[in-house]
Amino acid sequence: MPKFLIWIAALAALIALPHGLSFSQQEILVFLTINVLLVASYRLLTLTGEWSLGHVVIMGVGAYSSALLTKKLGVYVPVSMLLGGVIAALIAVLLSFPLFRMKGFYFLIGSFAAGEIIRLLWKRFRDPFGGAKGIKGIDPMPDFSVGFYQFDFFEPTSYYYFAGVVVAVCLWILWRIEKSPVGLTFHAVHWQDKLAQASGVNVRAYRTLAFAIASGFAGISGALLAHYVGTINPNAFDIDLMVFVLTWAIVGGTATFYGPILGCVVLTVINEVVLRELGLEQMRPLIYGAIMILSILFLPNGLESIVQKLTKRRAAGGAPERSPAE
Amino acid sequence: MISKIVKSGLTRRTFLHSTAAAAMSAGLPGASLAAGSTIKIGFLAPLTGAVAAWGKPGLDGCEIWAERVNAAGGIKLGDGSHNVEFVAYDNEYDPAKARTGATKLIREDGVSFIMMLGGDTWPGVQPVADKTGMLFSTLLPSDLSPDTNTLIAPAEVHPIYNVTGVEWLAENKPELKTAVMCAQDDALGLPSVATYLAAFEAAGIEMLDDPLLFDPATTDFAPVVTRLISKNPDIVCLDTCYSDYVHPIAEQLFQQGFKGQIISCTADFYDQMIAKTSEEFMEGFVFQFPDFDDPALNGDNINFTDPNGFFAEFNKRHPGQWGAVSWEYASIMDLWKAAAEKAGSASPDAVASAMKQGKGKHAFGDADWWGTELFGIDNALVGDWPVVAIEGGKATIKEFRSIPDWYAKHGDLLVKHMKAYDQMWDQRS
Repeated sequence: MPKFLIWIAALAALIALPHGLSFSQQEILVFLTINVLLVASYRLLTLTGEWSLGHVVIMGVGAYSSALLTKKLGVYVPVSMLLGGVIAALIAVLLSFPLFRMKGFYFLIGSFAAGEIIRLLWKRFRDPFGGAKGIKGIDPMPDFSVGFYQFDFFEPTSYYYFAGVVVAVCLWILWRIEKSPVGLTFHAVHWQDKLAQASGVNVRAYRTLAFAIASGFAGISGALLAHYVGTINPNAFDIDLMVFVLTWAIVGGTATFYGPILGCVVLTVINEVVLRELGLEQMRPLIYGAIMILSILFLPNGLESIVQKLTKRRAAGGAPERSPAE
Repeated sequence: MISKIVKSGLTRRTFLHSTAAAAMSAGLPGASLAAGSTIKIGFLAPLTGAVAAWGKPGLDGCEIWAERVNAAGGIKLGDGSHNVEFVAYDNEYDPAKARTGATKLIREDGVSFIMMLGGDTWPGVQPVADKTGMLFSTLLPSDLSPDTNTLIAPAEVHPIYNVTGVEWLAENKPELKTAVMCAQDDALGLPSVATYLAAFEAAGIEMLDDPLLFDPATTDFAPVVTRLISKNPDIVCLDTCYSDYVHPIAEQLFQQGFKGQIISCTADFYDQMIAKTSEEFMEGFVFQFPDFDDPALNGDNINFTDPNGFFAEFNKRHPGQWGAVSWEYASIMDLWKAAAEKAGSASPDAVASAMKQGKGKHAFGDADWWGTELFGIDNALVGDWPVVAIEGGKATIKEFRSIPDWYAKHGDLLVKHMKAYDQMWDQRS
């Protein structure tokens, strides 16, 4: 099947998807879509070899910025979402000065500390951040009509379409960045940093660039969340959610663009849909933990390795290898 | 179908109609009740995670309540008797999951009423409540505001009842003159801090330091306790800390040699605290939530049905799990049942209206709908509240005290401290 037909079929499936789901599953779909952007942006940072524990707080920076821009300054919601991403990226640039003096494990701990400082600032300054209670009554995305479809953003289906378009554009940009010379340099910074440095690459500048870009998109995901739920508080961006992001990335695998997204989708469906539907509401943390341990034991390269095996087998079956004699 | 609805403008009425139709078409129970059908009640609270202690025991209590009511013939409405059933959704104390849960309970399960813990999760649910007109209850009246008139706080006026414990201490242990306080820095801790500050000021007890606010992610309480007791206070106040904090703080107080008075909003699973410390150390620990085998609950003023039997059954099924909320959600259901039977209907509007006619039958005695000054709306049921102390390893009700009487004398202090912590309804961002 030609590639564009596969894309059209996938697009049609994504458009039809919410109509095959229950109301609560549509809600979960909205949060899943937002989390896909969060985890995909996280992967961009990991391309340079650095794993951060502050990514979720940076998502929160985007959420708080966008919420405050709309509440205090009356900025139009879509514009504030974009600005939320920009502010998150700028904060990341600021943080990069102390953080990129560190590498590896030290960067990991440093990023956690930086994130906690930001969270404590949200708590400490009730004006404008709302303190521990956070901000509520955040302006929703304004409803509008495109003729054949009325967007009512209280409805999860409408918001899913809106968030889906935003996330799709962001993913396309992330993909293009990864495939560009800049993306290749990110890989070089990770795997051959001394060689890259010897070739004239400013390693620290590229690490900062990856951190800022990843943070910008995380900020947009935070803004999408804030304007849907209508409330944010410092606890919504704590280490618990960060552990989920790490889990999605590790279980999915980070070797491919789709690995973390696959991890996010599969684990969210298991945790929020399957286990709840099975009536295992209160046993979910236990079962979720067990699934994680088993996947790490038996799928050390992540869920993406299954896809890679299947696609390789399919390619081998479709085009049998020719012998040298031929 | 949704597109059609939204094109014509989504009103509460069209929303509820569409919900009922969608539920029917999905083969699920409809929003309107058929004669003899089961009434579904939503339970939207944390059942897992750090705050589960204020959700799970409540659900366990509700299951016992439902069995008792169903065995007694169910809920008698205008069209006959209906059994009652609880549908639970674990919101993990997360506003986004609470929104998803509210949507599921209303639009898929067709519940007639939803009980919540409230707090951080309520703002996520508020748009759903506003849009659907569903009747919700919260255990935390600090969620109340004039923005939503379908949210009620009929079981506890947290944290206002904490004033009764301090008032009792001041009258019965006048030698206690100084206090310190710690609390987790969140939506549950801060209004309680303001309340305790007002209560201590009203009682003439001096605060030796500003309240020590710790991050909810704190796991090591040794430094917290060291700083707390460094000024040698007579009273250590644990505010409304979650049981995951109360236990380690009490342990640290014991290990660091504190000999004074402890007061706390809750002491869930206090038997475990005694096991970790000692009976002598825990003697006289004052809090606000009684065991329901207490003889003081057999008085004529008590509206909770058979509290002793309820407690015995709860402990038989869930030994060691009795906590502050074990009876509270069930007591809300007592009120809801009485209002539904009075209205002859389970519809949210009819029940809300019947519930607020005259005095409310609160678990600890008849009470008034109150709260305009503090919450902007009279949707909190306020009356007497027990002061409980641990004596000989067992929680014992020392006295019932009137919250409105305290407020009449010291309301200005409460408002002052609530304002200082930005906890008045019109200060919430």
